[in-house]
Amino acid sequence: MARGEGRGERFVPANYQPLLPTDRLVLKEGSEGAGDRMELDVLIVGAGPAGLACAIELAQLAQRDGTEVDIGVLEKAEALGEHSLSGAVVNPRAFRELFPDLKDADFPFRGPVKRERVCLLTGRRAFTLPTPPTMHNAGNYIASLSEIVRWLGERAAALGVNVFTGFPAASLLMDEQRVAGVRTAASGLDRDGRPLANYMAPNDLVAKVTVLAEGTRGALAQAWLDRQGVSSENPQIFALGVKEIWETKRPLDMIVHTLGWPLPADAFGGSFMYPLEPNLVALGLVVGLDYGEAGLDVHELFQRMKLHPLFRGYLEGGEMVEWGAKTIPEGGYYSVPARRSGDGVVILGDSAGLVDVPSLKGIHYAMQSGMFAARAILTSLKSDDMSAARLAEYDRLVNSSFIMKDLYRTRNMRLAFKDGFYVGGLKAAVMTATGGRIPGWKIAMARDADVPRRLTPRLRPGSVTPDGRLTFSKVDGVFKSGNATRDTIPVHLVVGKDVPLTAAEFYARMCPAGVYEVTQGTLRVNAPNCVDCKATDVLGPRWLPREGGSGPKYKRM
Amino acid sequence: MKIAVCIKRVPDSETRVKIAADGKSLDEAGVKFILNPYDEFAVEEALQRKEQAGSGEVVVIALGPAAAQETIRTALAMGADRGTLLQADRIPADGLAAATALAAELKGGGYDLILFGKMAIDDYNHQVGPMVAELLDLPCVTTVAHLEIEGGKGVAEREIEGGLEVVEFPLPAVLTTDKGLNEPRYPALKGIMAAKKKPLDVKPAALGAGRMEVVAMTPPPDRKEGKIVGEGGAAVAELVRLLREEAKVL
Repeated sequence: MARGEGRGERFVPANYQPLLPTDRLVLKEGSEGAGDRMELDVLIVGAGPAGLACAIELAQLAQRDGTEVDIGVLEKAEALGEHSLSGAVVNPRAFRELFPDLKDADFPFRGPVKRERVCLLTGRRAFTLPTPPTMHNAGNYIASLSEIVRWLGERAAALGVNVFTGFPAASLLMDEQRVAGVRTAASGLDRDGRPLANYMAPNDLVAKVTVLAEGTRGALAQAWLDRQGVSSENPQIFALGVKEIWETKRPLDMIVHTLGWPLPADAFGGSFMYPLEPNLVALGLVVGLDYGEAGLDVHELFQRMKLHPLFRGYLEGGEMVEWGAKTIPEGGYYSVPARRSGDGVVILGDSAGLVDVPSLKGIHYAMQSGMFAARAILTSLKSDDMSAARLAEYDRLVNSSFIMKDLYRTRNMRLAFKDGFYVGGLKAAVMTATGGRIPGWKIAMARDADVPRRLTPRLRPGSVTPDGRLTFSKVDGVFKSGNATRDTIPVHLVVGKDVPLTAAEFYARMCPAGVYEVTQGTLRVNAPNCVDCKATDVLGPRWLPREGGSGPKYKRM
Repeated sequence: MKIAVCIKRVPDSETRVKIAADGKSLDEAGVKFILNPYDEFAVEEALQRKEQAGSGEVVVIALGPAAAQETIRTALAMGADRGTLLQADRIPADGLAAATALAAELKGGGYDLILFGKMAIDDYNHQVGPMVAELLDLPCVTTVAHLEIEGGKGVAEREIEGGLEVVEFPLPAVLTTDKGLNEPRYPALKGIMAAKKKPLDVKPAALGAGRMEVVAMTPPPDRKEGKIVGEGGAAVAELVRLLREEAKVL
């Protein structure tokens, strides 16, 4: 393996990143190679909060209207919620609108936010900060997204929606400009792609409308936007979050957010710690993938963070019971694609970038976007017109709603932090005070993969030797994610050709699940470890959908 | 060929099991339930037998709570024709109580074969299949790893300690299935859609009297912490000494 750049220099991840394999992600409708073919009215890709809220709203509207609509939801996880991960503190407004007959107490929340604290950390101390106005959580609820998704899925099924878990959508089926449906991933292939005894051919699911609700860094959504040439004012940027659930000896009675240590000053991010129950604590660290130091490792930074007295005080003597990782689209207003609808297709939630970083919220925007899509789709179905012009109603509904209003208000806040934590913090404060009017322009951002990284020899922010009690290796983490992907599965990650050692080491540090390993100067890809966080797809090798049921099995993430 | 398959809803083997506050049952909160893996072999075998015969019916029967309908749907999605749930809030600890209810349901059903998984992965009892055979006065072959059926006769191979046992039996018969018998299929999308429309009866289970009670459950003891003896060749002698003197395994 050649050394691409000398040490002490800079390296740009994009130089080694393969192009998005759109030839695999987009197929012509009617292409050979599929087993069964099924027809539905509406096909939803992804059983997350966006996709399931869309399915529920559509089924409810159709029922009220006396129309019959055949709805199917494809989900790559083996069971509902097993690939869903969030903090999470949830704004209940979308729940209230979707289920007007239910009370807050009926929703799958763990409890209301009673107290909150924001801290600035140094290596040893924690200074309480005044809670920034965007981060006030009075009236919001602590929840596990896995649990929310299970609950929503049961509601959808009870309304007659077909929820197919364990079936990833591998390719978009296109008929000229129109999205006709998807082809699922084959299963039962060996490492070389040869069928095993339990091989199942891919299936084609065709529908009048296909809803892409794949979540963060959706593969099909990316491919469609790329093919259609739909862009956004800024490229989408991402953060990586690593999270653990702990059974603790000491109870926690408030939600805690921290800034500062252990992050280097040129990385954007922070931590969260929420009680699901007094002695069941969710905590995690989120770091923007535009960090400057090539050797930074989010999983290890998170492990180191737990050694701080603030966390240690709660965790010591307890047990880590679950681990997971996920990226978050952080670009906000300027990164939302110019349109999220086209002939026979709409794009929802995280796949459309509907996340507000300053308030750390996305779940209610995802659900609300699904509900708007359902309304637009029903109108389309009834007029038998699934054209781009008709489905653009979905974009209009989102644009004129609180979703885009909220995102517009904080449009530059995350972007301000590209100049580092302290300058960014100051700018964000000014923006908050002026309702986002300062600065009066858009802060331009680069794609994360285009941000040059420093190669400082031996500097590895976050390096820590796991003790197996408070701190854990990546392999420990993958085990606690419930990932039991079969070892003989074909590799689903597309690595660039002639990847230099610097890039290989960068991947090994970046990936929280230990998928990439440098052994004797060679990049080794442990594909079964992958927990579908998609960080690799942002900065390095491309992620493709693989056999259904692979990946993590989150229970309370 | 008419085949009955008796299946059970069990906690997923990857579930982190917790004992409930009463100290003698599982805390089911947040537990994922699956079709007992040994029963998957039974369902698969029934489907293959029916496919080979070119006609027939595969009926799945479960005993358990209302939620076990999901388990039946899984078997229907694999290809079984219809299902029956014998509903009971709790699956009795005494295998005979369950076997009595199942035998009552199976009696007079005209089945050529009645299949069970060799055991349920939650209670490890291996009881209910043989008990049902006894109650129905049918021959029973357990832990079948290979099966041939021709006319009114079957030949089963059983993997026993150190070798293979070949057993001949007349139909109808009760068989319990072992790993290796076949490779269970995954439910296909079409099968999942079709399963929603297949008949599924639910009726109360006529449980027999139970004479056993679970009085306590305890988790296994924590594993003792490992010890790193040293590194490199020099540590080998010390490791051998410890294995000999402390662990006493050499």
